[in-house]
Amino acid sequence: MSVPVLEIRNLHVDFKTRHGVLHALNGISFSIARGEVLGVVGESGAGKSLTGSAIIGLLEPPGHIAGGEIYLNGARIDGLDFESMRHIRGKKIGTIFQDPLTSLDPLFRVGEQLIETIRTHLPLDEKQARARAISLLADVGIPAPEKRIDAYPHEFSGGMRQRVVIALALAAEPDLVIADEPTTALDVSVQAQIIEVLKKLCRERGTAVMLITHDMGVIAETADRVAVMYAGRVAEIGPVRSVVQHPQHPYAQGLMGSIPPLDQHPSQLQQIEGSMPRLSAIPKGCAFHPRCPLVIDACHQTQPELRASGESFAACIRAGEAA
Amino acid sequence: MTEHPMITIEGARKVFDVSSPWLERVLSGQPPQYLVAVDDVSLTIGKGKTFALVGESGSGKSTVARMVTGLLPATQGRFEIDGHNLDTKHGYPRALRRRMQMIFQDPYASLDPRWRVGDIIAEPMRAFDLVPSRHEEQLRVGQLLTMVGLDPADAVKFPHQFSGGQRQRIAIARALASDADVLVCDEPTSALDVSVQAQILNLMKRLQKELGLTLLFISHNLAVVRFMADVVGVMYLGRLVETADVETLFSAPRHPYTKMLLDAVPDLAMTGRKRQPVQGEIPNPINPPSGCTFHPRCPLAQDVCKEKTPVLKNGVACHLADEPVASSKA
Repeated sequence: MSVPVLEIRNLHVDFKTRHGVLHALNGISFSIARGEVLGVVGESGAGKSLTGSAIIGLLEPPGHIAGGEIYLNGARIDGLDFESMRHIRGKKIGTIFQDPLTSLDPLFRVGEQLIETIRTHLPLDEKQARARAISLLADVGIPAPEKRIDAYPHEFSGGMRQRVVIALALAAEPDLVIADEPTTALDVSVQAQIIEVLKKLCRERGTAVMLITHDMGVIAETADRVAVMYAGRVAEIGPVRSVVQHPQHPYAQGLMGSIPPLDQHPSQLQQIEGSMPRLSAIPKGCAFHPRCPLVIDACHQTQPELRASGESFAACIRAGEAA
Repeated sequence: MTEHPMITIEGARKVFDVSSPWLERVLSGQPPQYLVAVDDVSLTIGKGKTFALVGESGSGKSTVARMVTGLLPATQGRFEIDGHNLDTKHGYPRALRRRMQMIFQDPYASLDPRWRVGDIIAEPMRAFDLVPSRHEEQLRVGQLLTMVGLDPADAVKFPHQFSGGQRQRIAIARALASDADVLVCDEPTSALDVSVQAQILNLMKRLQKELGLTLLFISHNLAVVRFMADVVGVMYLGRLVETADVETLFSAPRHPYTKMLLDAVPDLAMTGRKRQPVQGEIPNPINPPSGCTFHPRCPLAQDVCKEKTPVLKNGVACHLADEPVASSKA
């Protein structure tokens, strides 16, 4: 097998605070191959976005990588100095964030922002860069790109803005795109368009995508594999079809069950009792055990490692048993 | 049936003046500009039922909710709650205001961070003079907290000590504090994680059953609407384009916009169905398209759609609603 575009091994991220060290990421491992879309799901505070920030080297202090390794195309990128990381960001790794208004500078025309990005990373002159910016805007489905390139971000609608952000992320032909909740701020009808664009472009270019979202529907339609995160750990990882339809980890099972179905009308939704623990009070053993319907004594003691179960890998000693 | 519905809205219309300041307008010779946020919306909600309004941002869902609750004066239209005619221009009588409460989307913004939870929940009781003494007030707050799945001891805490889901529970307790029988819920779970959303939706359904509440439920999430609603109204650019009971709407949508919305929902079952690519975006409401406002995005649009605005007839506002669907080639 060829070298994966992104490989994360046993990543730990800690926050030093006055009240002690908080372990926000607690041994995350996964990899993404060329052209593959890995969906990362989980509730707020599970560590999804933090994993993204750790990869691009933009952890907010006091957060820092306390252990583990991150490889991009086989080369280690954690612990690189700021300057080297700056060349990787944008060039090798593109990012798309939730709110397109905050990722575009309102004072510059979208063309200027695209051209700046292109010229920072590719050896093109102003004219070539502009031509490339126009073709990028056309690729993401912006009508009349040769005119719209001189518009300001506020002249675009939310969906169109997110298209511009995708164009920006893809400007330097990165190997990896980290998309953090790219459609959460958008209406469903527009959301479907954006997912379509992202999917098509990444397939054409063989870009690996890490798609962070809390929307299982988006994952189901877009991702090849899914990682379900809970309290700073990967609870389950596997092919999208098997995780969505036959989740192995009790948390993944609860998560799938709590989504209101579109094709039936149940009188009640399945719910996971309680809420995600605070970082300062992550339970010993398996972090999910206080909420788990399958809990046994051993769950209080040992933190389960990922092991094969069904078609996926689940971090649970009772993985695969029906709730 | 002699019993009247809980909520009746007839011909509701809301126009916002979005003109530039007077001087600027006179100097540059611009005409005044108006935005018709809601136009000719009529609906009825039976007692103990849930009516859900769906639509994209800017379709006027929240404006309808705010007119019903009297937070926003309507430009036109008749509003009736439990047989009482409402004057939305001059505010509602107190007795009616007590019966209607709202739950908002963002529980971080809808609870005053400097008030204790007990005071937040007791405020409606104090405002409407519902409890004779402090002691009884505390008892009632405790009951309400238990009802929404929190601990009576939580009354002394502040909102920041609670998670998003717990805050939404507090907001629900506050809405119930005045013995309201109509709850207007504006995207009550949109800010919550899906597992927490399930908890809140289950709670709301249970309370509705126990207390016989009537809900006007606003959401852009069709799966949530499918779970909560008895009757659904689909809004597009300020107009109701289709209303139907929930089963019919989801199994046999008639308006092309409803079909498009349903088609756009990401599919968890991954049946690999071929989706019709969604066309365009919701247009600017200041300058809406002529005739049927949906025609620029509609796969079935014909000349008549550009000229005549369709009226809601038999639950659907479309000139071509009953044309055979097969005529549209994807």
